[in-house]
Amino acid sequence: MNDADLGSPAQPVPARQSQKEATRQRVIAAARELFDSHGYQGTTIREIARHAGISVGSVFTTFASKGEILSEVMQARLEPLYAEIDRVMPHVRGSTADRLRTMFAVHFEFEAQHVRLFMSHIAAAYDWTLPPGARPYGRTPGLQEVIRDVLVKGQAAGDVRPDIDLQEVVDLLLSAYAWTYRLVITREADAKSLIKVMDRQIGLIAEGFAPRN
Amino acid sequence: MKHISPTQVAVDAPTRAPTRRALAKQQTRLKVLAAARRLFSEQGYEGATIRDIAAAAGMSTGAVFANFTDKSDLFREIMADDMEALTAAMRDAAIRGRNVEDALLKIFMAGYTFYKTRLQLARAAFSVSWDKDGGPTLRGMSSSTAFQDLFGEQLTAAVERGELSQEAEVKLRSQMLFDTYLSNFPQAIFEGWSLDALQARARDQIRILLAGARRG
Repeated sequence: MNDADLGSPAQPVPARQSQKEATRQRVIAAARELFDSHGYQGTTIREIARHAGISVGSVFTTFASKGEILSEVMQARLEPLYAEIDRVMPHVRGSTADRLRTMFAVHFEFEAQHVRLFMSHIAAAYDWTLPPGARPYGRTPGLQEVIRDVLVKGQAAGDVRPDIDLQEVVDLLLSAYAWTYRLVITREADAKSLIKVMDRQIGLIAEGFAPRN
Repeated sequence: MKHISPTQVAVDAPTRAPTRRALAKQQTRLKVLAAARRLFSEQGYEGATIRDIAAAAGMSTGAVFANFTDKSDLFREIMADDMEALTAAMRDAAIRGRNVEDALLKIFMAGYTFYKTRLQLARAAFSVSWDKDGGPTLRGMSSSTAFQDLFGEQLTAAVERGELSQEAEVKLRSQMLFDTYLSNFPQAIFEGWSLDALQARARDQIRILLAGARRG
């Protein structure tokens, strides 16, 4: 150790931090590509490390599991989507069902660009070995909040039963939305046909939350 | 060289020998399947290798490959067995339902109860079902489609009984019920919800999904 080190104790830390941050970004970029081409099951930490050009050990100093890496990838990716949704939704008119349809259509169009990546995100929801820090599909707050907002407004407008358990409706919509992507696997469906199916499903759920006469 | 009399050959060769071989092959298959099930259950799908499975079954990897093309083939076979058993259990449960809502609820609960003891297999099944390569095959198996059809059968029967309207959109509605059944798995199994809590949630979900069909 020399005097320079003692004299500037702040310096080595940021240097190490920025290096750590650079590693993080490389891992995230590599993982985004791999999850999008190989899916959740087909992607391993070892491949992510190789693709990012770093050692497996370095990946593990930053992330505990591949699920956690995927969570970071999705978080970064979904931020602009929810900024857009927040901007657009207040201007969307119509019934609660129609407002939900518009909101989900925006989602399908967005995810269609990297549909395998989103399906990896869904698949991770069924991997219960993930650490609590990971946020697979269904545990990301963004979508839940947007749906809940639409439903609360619907209650105010008399479109949604006041006594319904909103969380249950949110969960049903989350489930319908996620499993619609099954059609990508079974029929290679595009965004347009996914939206069509989702529109019908929303109609059916809306019958369930409509006020009773 | 061992001497074989002509009569022995005549008796053994055409009838008993192929049967014995077929039986041995069948036994090998069953042994491999049992070992694979145990390893998938203990170590998960990704964690178990064909080599481990062969060792656990007490045979060579060559013997495993003579019966199954690869690990996913083995896994599908196990899933098919389970889905057939579960479909039968669900059908039995549904018969005891007082009405369509109750029958569906019993179907849901039969599934959650079944997989409570097969956590790793459930996890692997979900993982494979969303996989680009394994997904289409797993979802297209006859045991998978028969399993899904069960939900539609309940709705069709309810329409026939006059419990649900003729315009019940059976296909879409049964698909959504099936999706909802699957979507509860993270809570049902991975988050360790009690069966009572799950039942209350599933009942509400089924009510919401059936609401539109009751009015018609």
